[in-house]
Amino acid sequence: MKIIVCIKQVPDAKDVRLDPETNTLAREGVQSIMNPYDQHALEEAVRLKEQLGGEVTVLSMGPPQAEEVLRQAISCGADRGVLISDRAFAGADTWATSYTLAKAVNKIGDFDLILCGKQAIDGDTAQVGPGLAIQLEIPFITCIQKVREADEKHLVMERMMDDGYDVVSVQYPVLLTVVKDLNEPRVPSLKGKMKSKKAKIEMLTAADVGADAACIGLAGSPTQVVDVFPPPPRGERAILTGNIDEQVEQLVAKLATYL
Amino acid sequence: MLIVDKDLCVGCEVCVDNCAFGAITVIDGLAVVGDACTLCGACVDSCEVEALHIEGGEKSVQADLDSWSGVWVYCEFRAGLLAPVSLELLGIGRKLADARGVKLSAVLIGSDTGESAAKLIAHGADIVYRADNAALKYFTDETYGAVLTKLIQEHKPEVVLAGATAIGRSFIPGVANTLGAGLTADCTQLDIRADDGALLQTRPAFGGNIMATIVCPHSRPQMSTVRPNVMKALDTDASRSGELIDVDLEPAMLQAKVQVLESVISEHDDVNIQESDILVGGGRGLESEKGFDLIRELAKSLNGSVAASRAAVDSKWIGYPHQVGQTGKTVAPKLYIACGISGAIQHVAGMQSAETIVAINRDAEAPIFNVADFGIVGDLFEVLPKLISTIEGRQK
Repeated sequence: MKIIVCIKQVPDAKDVRLDPETNTLAREGVQSIMNPYDQHALEEAVRLKEQLGGEVTVLSMGPPQAEEVLRQAISCGADRGVLISDRAFAGADTWATSYTLAKAVNKIGDFDLILCGKQAIDGDTAQVGPGLAIQLEIPFITCIQKVREADEKHLVMERMMDDGYDVVSVQYPVLLTVVKDLNEPRVPSLKGKMKSKKAKIEMLTAADVGADAACIGLAGSPTQVVDVFPPPPRGERAILTGNIDEQVEQLVAKLATYL
Repeated sequence: MLIVDKDLCVGCEVCVDNCAFGAITVIDGLAVVGDACTLCGACVDSCEVEALHIEGGEKSVQADLDSWSGVWVYCEFRAGLLAPVSLELLGIGRKLADARGVKLSAVLIGSDTGESAAKLIAHGADIVYRADNAALKYFTDETYGAVLTKLIQEHKPEVVLAGATAIGRSFIPGVANTLGAGLTADCTQLDIRADDGALLQTRPAFGGNIMATIVCPHSRPQMSTVRPNVMKALDTDASRSGELIDVDLEPAMLQAKVQVLESVISEHDDVNIQESDILVGGGRGLESEKGFDLIRELAKSLNGSVAASRAAVDSKWIGYPHQVGQTGKTVAPKLYIACGISGAIQHVAGMQSAETIVAINRDAEAPIFNVADFGIVGDLFEVLPKLISTIEGRQK
């Protein structure tokens, strides 16, 4: 089994705060972490490798420091890390990102399975996984919550829906995006940590993968951000007063329209 | 790339304050752009001395932009039901179509869709494209994607909207990628720009800490997914007339490599919390699985559904489909009652679009009170039973 896991380095949401005075994001001291959903994708890849044999390659697109998350992935069981990084990728939207990742996947070589997190917590679009599958001309299934059966040929899984779940079956190659119900990611082993320190992360540029300049970065992005502004403020807030009975009475009166 | 004109830059740091990505620093009185720059352009607009501009690779503009016309809504139909968001989208779609002076079309894909097409017309659609076939009974990205892609290629609508549901957020990105179209996820506001008729798509970013408005200047269609419960459906008007077109389905469009073996609808527990008008959320303060009985009881008295914080889900007190927040679902109900939820930013990101937020927590310093319209500081196990009995008393 050849498995590729796509991983994104994202700012840790718990550190991101809005500066109430300037209404901008205070990002000082914000730590970079592996996108939480991607940890579950990685864990599933390593489990499938342990069950069926094979190799897990982790792929990231981002600035040079994204190398850190690839090393972290190797410490958790991945075999090989590839980072595609180029200033020319700046401004890439989900279309340009899918295109760039597809080029990198083709460079990495054969694969049976690609795993991605459902979405990255900084953009929340959930568009790059499906986009990558389309670019590679393989089927995709989103929001996998459980793998019921896995062998060398096919997978039977549950995909999360709004009203329950669907049981789906597919043969390789396929791209899956996963939700966090899927598994419990492991912590790195000591051996894994040693391995990750010594690992050589392969670096790719736009030229290395033969990316068309018109399809990457800002030029390759059909969407463009034209305005960024703080969300409209919520109205006056009120902490109710009085004893609990009085507060409950007041609250129910305030909520009358919803009852 | 973002270019700083060294002769014009005065090192005032206004751009630093306006950069949501922390990508600009001022070194020796000169703005320096770092790797975190996403070329969003916020700094360019903010610069008072016009020292910043973006130099991009040349964008190729699709030649036939003007030949794309009409507003389309993908109307989700699953297990015999139209998703409520479909009707909400026809509401906003009607406004956009009228602003552009074009027709509003609905795309209905499924099996045994019955009277659904007539319902879509009564809610504002001028045309319904119906793909009703036994092979479309279950949703697959391949079949639904093939049908919608072909229809878009054939009829060339300028705008395509879909609900930001499990189904919409799955196959719409595939369709957009196939078409090379721009797609904006989870929009909360849609408008037509007056000067050129472009679709202005506004969505929250960074867990709702900032809003971003996005356009697709060079290509068509302009595609958006829209969160449930944000837009308003029009009232049913049975006197409205519209055209129903049954789509020619080629056998290849009905083939899928992914097979759906079974569709399991959660019956005993309402997990579709994104469609609920009223949500009662429970967190760590409930202390146990049994604590959720109170949440269920309150939800029932309000005819609402049960939501949860990550802490409660991680403690296995309730299932993941109920989780609200950054790694769960984003909800926008009319009323959200947060019980024993501290209000970590990850949770708030998932529910701050609620019309009214109530917080009940024994810790007066809990951040949840910063987003709550009404707060009660007190013990849940004392407050909730009283609240339930007061509500039930009022309903009698």
